[in-house]
Amino acid sequence: MDERTFERLAEEYARRLYAVAYRLLGNRADAEDAVQRALMKCFAARASYSPRWAVSTWLYRAVANVCIDELRRRKVRGHEVSLDDAEGGERPRAGSRESGTVPGVRATRGGVGGVASTPPTSIGRRVDLTRALSRVPREARMLLALHYVNGLGYRELAAIRGITVNTVKSQLARGKTILRQALEAGGHDGSD
Amino acid sequence: MDRTDDMLRDFFAVTAPAGLGDRLRAALREEPAALEALIDRFHVEASERGVARLSYGRGRDVAAGRGRRHAEQARHELAEYLAGRRTFFTVPVDLAGVGEFQGRVLAEADRIPFGQVTSYAALARRIGHPRAARAVGNALGANPVPVIVPCHRVIRGDGSWGHYAFGGALKTRLLELERTTPLLIGCTSTRIVCRRGCAHEQRIGEHGRVVFASVADAASVGYRACKACKPRDAAA
Repeated sequence: MDERTFERLAEEYARRLYAVAYRLLGNRADAEDAVQRALMKCFAARASYSPRWAVSTWLYRAVANVCIDELRRRKVRGHEVSLDDAEGGERPRAGSRESGTVPGVRATRGGVGGVASTPPTSIGRRVDLTRALSRVPREARMLLALHYVNGLGYRELAAIRGITVNTVKSQLARGKTILRQALEAGGHDGSD
Repeated sequence: MDRTDDMLRDFFAVTAPAGLGDRLRAALREEPAALEALIDRFHVEASERGVARLSYGRGRDVAAGRGRRHAEQARHELAEYLAGRRTFFTVPVDLAGVGEFQGRVLAEADRIPFGQVTSYAALARRIGHPRAARAVGNALGANPVPVIVPCHRVIRGDGSWGHYAFGGALKTRLLELERTTPLLIGCTSTRIVCRRGCAHEQRIGEHGRVVFASVADAASVGYRACKACKPRDAAA
């Protein structure tokens, strides 16, 4: 795959990859960073790209790998998606040399951006959903994001995460059950 | 199709920010930082027991007899680490020349997992000397085997770097490298999850790699932990 073809592909998929990363990582800076890192990895490995693979599977797997590893770091730091991030709270770019921050040690500040034209009335619902999603196990959350952001089918999801189609189905079902339960519990007691 | 499906579809509808494509295109044209080229600037001193000193700058490897094997292994693992292909070192270190306090500090620093950071004060608390943060800093500053014993993962409590024997710029690059290197890699054909740098992991082809956040996550979708590199211990 030559450089120009890859650039065209990156442009074609950038928005879809960003949407997955945004819903998993919860803020615009980290989502852009994840897409950029994923595309750079694919760009570096473009010579080994095999046409046996769907391009979308290759790119989605790359962005899923980066996002999952970022979630691992957050878990270690003791938080995943925070409420400040629920509606696109901005953070300084992780580990940016300009800001002089330590990679993985960041301050969070609120703000709105990243989600286009969010009606104010739905913000409460979105915060509820963000909270509920944070209770869904990471693997299931990743599959939910890929499935609902881009409408990917079971077979492609299985190829992206290297699992069986049956595992995809059970993980999605489990994720949705936990989500429903968390939303119901949140509605009753209003607690996190 | 139920209400949850509609709700999720609506929730996941995200519009990308303006100029995303341009920023990504510019990033692809940037030259990636070639950290692996720095391997020639590291020099290993090894005894029969293991690596006794790692220096940076001018110099050459110093090793005799069985120490030569340790020096070669250290250089090999260091090259892989700098290339983002390794997350742990297996080469033994020889800390025979360090004092008791420094030995405890270095042993505790060695337990900081790849990609994580801790503060001088937290490290002091962990070795049972909560008021000795400055002494911990001095002990780390005199670390004879930086990188292999990861003193670069210790930073100030306010999030700034603190001192680093090989310079703040290299500390930044090492932490940035660890931030962008995944720790747990699963093989899609064998369904085994390894630490990055395990001999089995290095045989996985480009299209057979998936990243996991924990061994438990991997197990939840049918993967098992590698018996050689024991990733459960590393990702705990």
